Amino acid sequence: MKKLTWFLILFMFLGLASSYAMAPKPSASNFKDPVVSLELFEVPQYDGFWYYSNKVEPTKGKADNRGAPLPMSFLLAIENPNPYPVTLEGLKFTVNVDGFDLVTVNNDDMYIIPAESTDHVRVTTMITARSALLSLMVTGGFKLQEQGMSPWEALEKWWTGLAGYTQPLSLKGGTAEISAGDVSKVLAFELTSS
Amino acid sequence: MRKKWKVLLVFFIIGAVGLCFSGPVLAKTVKVGGIMDTTGATSDVGKDYAFGMVEAFKYINENGGINGNKVKYTWFDYGYRIPEAITRYKFLKRMGVVAIMGWGTGDTEALSPTVNQDKLPYVSASYSAHLTDPAKSKYNFFFSSDYSTNARACLTAWFDKKWPQHPDYGKRKPRFACCYMSASPYCNAPIKAIRDHATMLGFEVGADQDVSLFALDAKSQINALKEFKPDVVWHGNTTMSVSATMRDAYSLGLGADWIINNWGFDENLPRLAGPAAEGAIGATPCAFFGQKQPDGNYYKNMDKVVEYAAKYNPGIPPEKRLIRTVQAWADALIFWEAANRADKAGSLDGETIKTKGFETMRNFDIGLGSSPVSYTATDHRPTTGCLVQEYRNGAFNELSRVDLKARWPEKWANEWQGW
Repeated sequence: MKKLTWFLILFMFLGLASSYAMAPKPSASNFKDPVVSLELFEVPQYDGFWYYSNKVEPTKGKADNRGAPLPMSFLLAIENPNPYPVTLEGLKFTVNVDGFDLVTVNNDDMYIIPAESTDHVRVTTMITARSALLSLMVTGGFKLQEQGMSPWEALEKWWTGLAGYTQPLSLKGGTAEISAGDVSKVLAFELTSS
Repeated sequence: MRKKWKVLLVFFIIGAVGLCFSGPVLAKTVKVGGIMDTTGATSDVGKDYAFGMVEAFKYINENGGINGNKVKYTWFDYGYRIPEAITRYKFLKRMGVVAIMGWGTGDTEALSPTVNQDKLPYVSASYSAHLTDPAKSKYNFFFSSDYSTNARACLTAWFDKKWPQHPDYGKRKPRFACCYMSASPYCNAPIKAIRDHATMLGFEVGADQDVSLFALDAKSQINALKEFKPDVVWHGNTTMSVSATMRDAYSLGLGADWIINNWGFDENLPRLAGPAAEGAIGATPCAFFGQKQPDGNYYKNMDKVVEYAAKYNPGIPPEKRLIRTVQAWADALIFWEAANRADKAGSLDGETIKTKGFETMRNFDIGLGSSPVSYTATDHRPTTGCLVQEYRNGAFNELSRVDLKARWPEKWANEWQGW
């Protein structure tokens, strides 16, 4: 009986070892690029468009330059075409509206995408009308001037348009770091939400 | 005998299974934090710096990490808001980071007492001279010449190279004025020093002009300057508002030369300022992105900077990358060296990184066209001078490498530290 037990343990171990040995190993030659796509863009909470300068006395708290928050949530699908799991090591992209960069989002969380399947990663960020104003004026000032548009007009259009899902946006300069075994690759992506 | 075989078999199985999982379990991770500006008032220069920092830590990890231990670099965008930076700092401290790669002058100076108390090395992109006196700022470090050294070096280079060519040379005092956002800690940090330097060199010093970091129009400031008729003007802002000011000065015919602090002098300046950028002079703490030496070869480590930018940010064309990436690498490389030295000395805690790491560096060569770096327990000024470059005929060229310590050793040793 004892002999049989030990034989079964050895058999199971050898079975596991052989299946591990027979599974396809990731290599540069058999690695296929996973595909990143934007499945959903969502504004999870909306507080309207508003801005107070530091000259306005608030009912509570300290006066400061403050603007409406705009949380943005992106559901990204990562399709793994490989016969082995891959690891998503990190994601980064810049949210661009009408050709102006609004915010750069960085996510270092790790996800394992099973073989030949699609997994989802939700990335959430938040900007305020204040942070967007600063970014816009310092990086897009000349461009806005050429278009004859004030930063306030642009911000209000984007705030209301994004929350109403009528304003398209793009994810620019996107990168997804993928690894499998000794193979690692940085995928570039550009995505658009209609 | 049979029992012996059974024991061996069990050990064999445990060992084999263990081998499969041992890598991730045994690997030690060193946590490093980052507080960056990719959306705020300095995002025109901050985004490229933030990307460069990530790429530099990839390079560090792919080249042995800290004595074999991987670095887990976690960074946040704080939008150039000091309260946000303080919140991020507290979070990173809670995460157990051994050091923080920081950003702006306002937040770095605001956090300096906390960093001292927490004994947490803070390697910032603020090069304010206020951070170079360890009597006050024990745990603040950066690789570059400080803003006051930049300012003194630029004015010295102009005085040596440009003023002698002026038709009024020898007939009157040269006239000097400053443009900067007076409410910005970054912009106003070196003003006392450059005004002191101008007086020392015998300039007539005019009134300062307040130019916002968001300025798209500086005509009123230029008109005010025209009454004073400066020969040279210091601009202490970042690239966008420097460009706006230079464009207005060009169109209104101010006729002065411009000397610019390092965060206003980059590859975007000629793109934004157009012909107004011709002849602009600026402080460059290191070479521009992909810049080669006069012999046609890359500066030491520049090939890595270019390679990792393409590898980890393939969506950004190389012509869009800036000197900010190189500056981030330089700050990451001094941290790497300090951490390696501290680890070899026995510990990766903040105090050891400071005393057995940073403060043991003497003329440490980062490459990248930067000056060699030294820190002591009593002096955190990394360099004694600055490379001053000029934009002319479509390219940045070396105008002068000014060494303040060599030229004014007494003042350098006894007067100029910490402001």
